[in-house]
Amino acid sequence: MQYLVSVIHDSNELAAPDEMAAIDAFNDRLIAEGHWVFAGGLGSTSLATVIDNRGGEAMITDGPFLESKEYIVCFWIMEAPDLDVALKLASEASKACNRKVEVRPFL
Amino acid sequence: MVAALTRRFGDLDIAEEAAAEAFATAVGRWPADGVPPNPGAWLTTTANRKAIDRIRRENKLGDKHKEAQMLSGDDPPEPLGAIEDERLRLIFTCCHPALAMETRVALTLRMVGGLTMPEIARAFLVQEATVGQRITRAKAKIKAARIPYRVPSAEDLPGRVSGVLAVLFLVFNEGYLATGPGTDPVRHDLTGEAIRLTHLIRALMPEDGEVAGLLALMLLTEARRAARVSAGGELVALDEQDRGAWDAALVAEGHRLVRERLAARVAPGRYQILAAISAVHTSALDVRDTDWSQVVALYDQLVRLDPSPIIALNRAIAVAELDGPEVALAAVDRLEHQLAGYHAYHATRADLLRRLGRSQQSRAAYGKAIELAGNTAETAALTRRRDQLG
Repeated sequence: MQYLVSVIHDSNELAAPDEMAAIDAFNDRLIAEGHWVFAGGLGSTSLATVIDNRGGEAMITDGPFLESKEYIVCFWIMEAPDLDVALKLASEASKACNRKVEVRPFL
Repeated sequence: MVAALTRRFGDLDIAEEAAAEAFATAVGRWPADGVPPNPGAWLTTTANRKAIDRIRRENKLGDKHKEAQMLSGDDPPEPLGAIEDERLRLIFTCCHPALAMETRVALTLRMVGGLTMPEIARAFLVQEATVGQRITRAKAKIKAARIPYRVPSAEDLPGRVSGVLAVLFLVFNEGYLATGPGTDPVRHDLTGEAIRLTHLIRALMPEDGEVAGLLALMLLTEARRAARVSAGGELVALDEQDRGAWDAALVAEGHRLVRERLAARVAPGRYQILAAISAVHTSALDVRDTDWSQVVALYDQLVRLDPSPIIALNRAIAVAELDGPEVALAAVDRLEHQLAGYHAYHATRADLLRRLGRSQQSRAAYGKAIELAGNTAETAALTRRRDQLG
């Protein structure tokens, strides 16, 4: 079972050095314990482009599909047997990166 | 399957419930444990067990003697059987922190308590459709997000049990002071279920102080049930209750638990303090023998843990007995901006004003309390008190 752990924040400021060190240590543990699938940081929402090709002609718009104060700044995809394990990992992730996270299961 | 179960048990409701519960169990369990080799047979066996369990429970509810046994006397805790194990797993799944509080309550009552959707809707004054939606959404989340169907590990248990106790306390309170014009003022099905489930949690965690505290609190409250509503359907306040009508066995069991916690010499949590307050009240054979200084001291301890205005209001009621109604009224009036919409705030003020001889103001306060109270027996008692004012 895989879970998307999104990091929610109100700025794209890079992680501070101590946060980065904590994230690296956490990632090493994810890999060692078999929970690691993928992770990555995202560019700011001002770099986003929306495309809608439902009408036959691709409409390209500048900006995110939704303006909000907080948005996804990076994410993990984790392997976990159930939500309890995923929540535990996610709470460690939140501590490591010093930001709020959201957990959603893949279907 | 429902048909086969109905044939066997001669009751469509039981059969439907049992089948639904068996499916829900499967939904919770199969994703984690794997689908059993013969799913159909597994479901039938599980449903049969659920039906038998429910029939046993209902027989118990109808039988006073057995009921007393169910509420007390499970000490020392017996080893848990397969059915109890399953109920515990269900409780922890239903009370999972990833579900919203009102959902946890509804789900626990439906899946563990076996209440119907209309019963749950009535108990919490919400539309039946709302309860249905909550439960459907919760089941979908349990399945898709894979909320596990198991009792948490020993290391996680202390963190998870407080959420379960909060749900059980809500269920108990709703049973004890049921809301809604058409409902019985005291719903024993809810209080009894909450006590039964708390016993189960205690068997799982016999050393946990708050579990013991909540159980003691429920038992000492339940012990006063018969004295709490008059023959005329009025709520009888603690100071006017016939103390001879209290259930001595439940009082003794509650006191034993409170003493056990005192002997443990560990700083008590809120359920333990509330239980201790209840123990002080139930120790007095006559209301005039109540040790009010002890009650106020316990409330002082509670206020430090939980600075909520409702605790402060209850503390003021005890202060009235110790330091007089004038001191208490000053304390109550300070809570106005927080509690103006709460019936007990106005009822307390009305009572204190009455004792101070300020009839006019007392009448107005009773009026507000009556307007806001949801419990039928409580409204009746408030109305009588108002009409007795000179």
